Amino acid sequence: MSAAGSPNPEYVVARVRARRGGLYGDEEYRKLTRMGPAEIARFMEESSYGEEINALGSRHGGVDLIEYALNRNLAEQFDAILDWSEGSLYDLIARYLRKFDAWNVKTVIRGVYTDAEQSAVEVDLIRAGEFDDRRIRRLLEADSIDGVIEILEDTIYGEPLREAYAEFEETDVLVPLENAVDRAFYERLLSGLGGDEPTRQYESFLVAEVDFRNATNALRLARSGADIDPAAYFIEGGDLFTRSSLARLAQNLDELVEYIGDSQYGDELGPALRELEEADSLIAFEHAIDAALLAYGDRLGTIHPVSVTPVISYILAKERETENIRAIARGKEAGLSPDEIESELVIT
Amino acid sequence: MFEATNELGNLVLSTGGTLTDPNAAAALAVGLAALGAGYAERGIGSAAVGAMAEDDDLFVNGLILTVLPETIVILALVVVFIVG
Repeated sequence: MSAAGSPNPEYVVARVRARRGGLYGDEEYRKLTRMGPAEIARFMEESSYGEEINALGSRHGGVDLIEYALNRNLAEQFDAILDWSEGSLYDLIARYLRKFDAWNVKTVIRGVYTDAEQSAVEVDLIRAGEFDDRRIRRLLEADSIDGVIEILEDTIYGEPLREAYAEFEETDVLVPLENAVDRAFYERLLSGLGGDEPTRQYESFLVAEVDFRNATNALRLARSGADIDPAAYFIEGGDLFTRSSLARLAQNLDELVEYIGDSQYGDELGPALRELEEADSLIAFEHAIDAALLAYGDRLGTIHPVSVTPVISYILAKERETENIRAIARGKEAGLSPDEIESELVIT
Repeated sequence: MFEATNELGNLVLSTGGTLTDPNAAAALAVGLAALGAGYAERGIGSAAVGAMAEDDDLFVNGLILTVLPETIVILALVVVFIVG
């Protein structure tokens, strides 16, 4: 509910564990990959997504309905978790969920940039972060990027955005603004974490996530061969790269692959790296990274059963479920075969 | 705080000591056991309520698990009979 009071992990963990039991497993995914969009929507209606499907069913249909229902369900679940938690637990969870604020800010900026309809932007927002409805409404009503920045003035995104705005005006591309939002989020994510054992484990998970994000970015840059400064995409806080080592490694794909293989993540990512060398497919590697993070998250939740870690583990699993269902629905829409869709899913 | 505790200890010892009286010590034992049970029930209770909020069928299990630490107090009561 707020950052005041003493933490109540027992309550939150009990609720989250009950919800985790309701997430889709292998069996459900196998069924879903053999259904059409309308059947998927019906299947979801009978499980934990019933309320959202019913609320949105009259306005949307097909894959859009599934997509919006997923977003809304995700937002409601995560909002509820924030609602339950108190004290330091709230702070730890909110840190991670702020990434949806960052997502919303980026979506709004993109919407303003492309002159998109207000309602079109609104459905793409995921209201799971810390921004309240009032701020989100004001963001949606903003008609210029300058206006958006003004509304965010008192948040952590205000200052970095203001600094990036000058660059945006010069070049008229969104990259500086989006980078500013991402960096504001990641800087806040790892600053001032407390000292007890579960929190340290949470921190090492967050560091791993930053490392993986940097590794993916570097691999993408190295493969595309584009003439972009890799340091501009560097995210602070990771263990694996420094700004200069990332810039150097992104020039040479082979060196980069070798470097990741020799790092502390080599065991988890090794098979995927070999596949990357053989098949030259970045998708498999990105899936391997997702799977490694998810497995990390699962393990994380079992070591300290009454702490923040099971909650984070659930948040990850839930996010993954949403992404899997979205992949199935979009794959079906594009006419992929069940086997092809299954290779797109990340299941542990 | 600590000085006050020290003085209290000195006072207790010099006046023949109410706490060295077996009955008083037994009472203290029960009291501390009840305190421990209360602390344990705090965590279990909030977890049980959380589980019940998700699934009503868990009411009976939650209730049983919540009051389990009460057994500590009952065991501590044995001390009273042994001493008394």
